[in-house]
Amino acid sequence: MRILLVEDDRMLGDGLQAGLTQAGYAVDWLRDGEAAVAALSTESFAAVVLDLGLPKRDGLSVLQWLRGRHDATPVLILTARDQLEDKVRGLDLGADDYVLKPFDLDEIAARLRALVRRAHGRPEPLLTLGEIELNPAARSVTRAGLSVELTPREFDLLHLLLQNADRVLTRRTLEEQLYTWNDAVDSNALEVHIHHLRKKLGNELIRTVRGVGYMASASAQA
Amino acid sequence: MSGAASYSLRRRLVWLLTGAVATIWLLSVLVVYQRAHHEADELLDAQLTQVADTLLAIVAGGEVDHFVQELHEHIRHDPVPIAFEIWHAKDGKAQRLMTSSGHTEFETGVTTGFSEHPHQGARWRFYAVQDIDAEYRVVVGQAHAARERLAREIGLSLLLPPALALPLMALVVWWGVGRSLRPVDGVARQVGMLDAQALTPLDESAQLPSEIAPLRAALNALIRRVTTAFENERHFAADAAHELRTPLAALKVQAQVALRAQTADSQRHALMQVIAGVERMTHLVEQLLTLARVDPANPGSAPALLDPADVIAAVCADLLPHAQRQAQSLVVEAAPGCVVLVTESWLRIALRNLVDNAQRYAGEGARIEVRLARNGSDCILTVADDGPGVAPALRSQLSARFVRGEVEAEGCGLGLSIVARIAALSHAQLELGDGLPRADGGHGFSVTLRFSAATSQV
Repeated sequence: MRILLVEDDRMLGDGLQAGLTQAGYAVDWLRDGEAAVAALSTESFAAVVLDLGLPKRDGLSVLQWLRGRHDATPVLILTARDQLEDKVRGLDLGADDYVLKPFDLDEIAARLRALVRRAHGRPEPLLTLGEIELNPAARSVTRAGLSVELTPREFDLLHLLLQNADRVLTRRTLEEQLYTWNDAVDSNALEVHIHHLRKKLGNELIRTVRGVGYMASASAQA
Repeated sequence: MSGAASYSLRRRLVWLLTGAVATIWLLSVLVVYQRAHHEADELLDAQLTQVADTLLAIVAGGEVDHFVQELHEHIRHDPVPIAFEIWHAKDGKAQRLMTSSGHTEFETGVTTGFSEHPHQGARWRFYAVQDIDAEYRVVVGQAHAARERLAREIGLSLLLPPALALPLMALVVWWGVGRSLRPVDGVARQVGMLDAQALTPLDESAQLPSEIAPLRAALNALIRRVTTAFENERHFAADAAHELRTPLAALKVQAQVALRAQTADSQRHALMQVIAGVERMTHLVEQLLTLARVDPANPGSAPALLDPADVIAAVCADLLPHAQRQAQSLVVEAAPGCVVLVTESWLRIALRNLVDNAQRYAGEGARIEVRLARNGSDCILTVADDGPGVAPALRSQLSARFVRGEVEAEGCGLGLSIVARIAALSHAQLELGDGLPRADGGHGFSVTLRFSAATSQV
C-alpha cells in the first residue's frame, strides 16, 4: 500500500519511512507542503501521513486544499500541538485521524490500516474472497484455512486486488499503489508477482483483462 | 493610605489654597488699611481747616454768639468731636474770647497751621489760623485717639468680610478638591480589581480629567507590556515543550526501527540516527538554557568596557576545528580600537551563535567572515557567509523563537532569538542582510550587530 509521508523533520521522516516500510507500506517521503500538493495533484495514495508544521505550506493548508478538490484520500495528521482546538480544527478541515508526537510506530501502522479499511467501506479488518482470507494487521493470508507464505510485494498486490474485488485495476494503478518513486520497477515485475500469486492461491483467483489490467473475483473461481 | 510618608492631597490643597488666599487678603487689607488711615487723616484735617476758617470768618464779621453756638452744636456731634478757642488781640494783648463748651483750656503757644501737642494728658491735633490783621485767632483741635479710633474702625470694617469668608472658602475648596479627585478613587478601584493572572487594561472609554488620563494611559501601557511579556513566557514554555516532541518522536521511531531492522546496515543506520537525535536534543536543551540565562537579573551580567576583537578571536579559535571539518574557511578581520560597553559572556554567546548558524546553514566549503569595524560612533560586528542566503521576506521572522531558515540543515531555531535578545539587552541594533557574493551571482546571509562605541578608550 502506497503512503505519502509529509514530514519536514529529517530524522523523524527518515525513521517513519523506514518503520512504515518495515510494516509493509510503500512510503514516499516529502518535506514541504508545496511538494505534497504537487504530488497529491498528480498521483494517488492509499493514505497521507501529514505533519502540521511544514515549510512553504503548512499541513492544515495542504489538507484544506486536498478536501477542496473532493479528494477523499485518508489523512492521518501528526502534530506536536496537543491543544484541543488544534485537534478540532484539524478534524474539521477533513483529517481522518490525529496522532500526537511522540507516538508509537505500531500505533501509526494500525491507524493507517484502519483508515484505509474505512476508506474502502469495510468495518471488519479481514478481507475475504472465496476461500482466501487476508489479515492486513498480521500481514497473513490463508487459503481454505491454511496459511500461505507470500513475499511483502505479493501480499501488497493481493491486498490491493482484494480491496477492489470485482473491479478491474489497471497496470498503472497497481504500479502506482505498489511502488514508490525510489523503487526501480522492471517492466514485467507486475506479471511476475501475478504469476507467483496464481501459483500459490490458484489460477482462478486473478483474472487478466486483456489490454486493461487485472481483477480478483470469487465468481472467477471454479 | 498608611505609612508616615503618605499625605492627603486634599488636605494639602485645602491648606495651600486657603493659606495663599488668606495671605494675599491680609496683605491687601494691610495696604487698604494704611490708605484708609491716611485718607481719614486728610479728611479730618480738611474738616479742622474748614471749621477753623468758618469760625474765623464768623468772629471777624462780628456776628459771634448765635452762629458760633450753632456751629458748636454741629461739630460736637461729629464722630470725632472738635474743640475750639477763639482769641482776640487787643492793645497787643491776646485774650480768650470764646471756647467750645465742656473743655479745659488749650495750652498757649499753638503755632499757626497744623501741630500736635499734649492736652489733658493725651495727644491732640491742632489747627490755628488768624486774620490778616492778627486781630482774631482761632485754634481748633481733636483728640488723636478719637481720630485713630475712626481710622481703625474703617480698617476693621474692611477686614471683617474676608475673615468670615475664609472658612467658607476652605469648605468650598475641600468639597471641590474631593469632587475633582473622585476619578482617582475610580482608577484606584479599577486597579485594585485587576487579576494578576489575567491582566486586562482599564476601560479607556470612560472620560477622565486630563491630569489623570495620562496615569491611566501609562498604567494601561504597563499592563500591556506585562501581558505581552507574560504571554511570551507562557508561549515560550509551550513552544519549547512542543519543540521537544518532534525530536522525541524521531528518537522513539528510530529506536523501534532499529529493533525491527532485518539487516545489520539498516539497524546501524537507525541507531546512528538515535545518537544524532540525542545530540540534537542536547543542543536544543542547551540553547533553551542559554536563552533563559541571558537575563539582566542573573549574576555576572554587568556590562563592562571591552574590545570585541578579543572575544572574536577566542570564539573563532573555538569554532575553527569545526569549520575545518566542514572544509569551511573562517576569516576574521577585526580592526583594533573598538571599545563597547557590553556583557562579555553575552557577546561571546551571541558571536558563537552567529558563527555556529553560518556553519550550520551555509553548508560545506562555505566562506564565513567575521568582521569588526568602526564607523563613526558605531562599532559594527558582522558575520557573513556565502551560503544559500535567506529571502528578504523571511528575514524578519528569523529572530522569532523556533523559526528556521528553509534549508536542508538541522538547527533548533533558537540561535538568532538568543542573538536578538542579547542585542536588545545590550542596546545594539540587529540587522539581517545580504552576505558574501556567491559564484552564481547570488548572496549569502549576514547578521550585523551595531553597538555604539564607548567614548573612553581602554
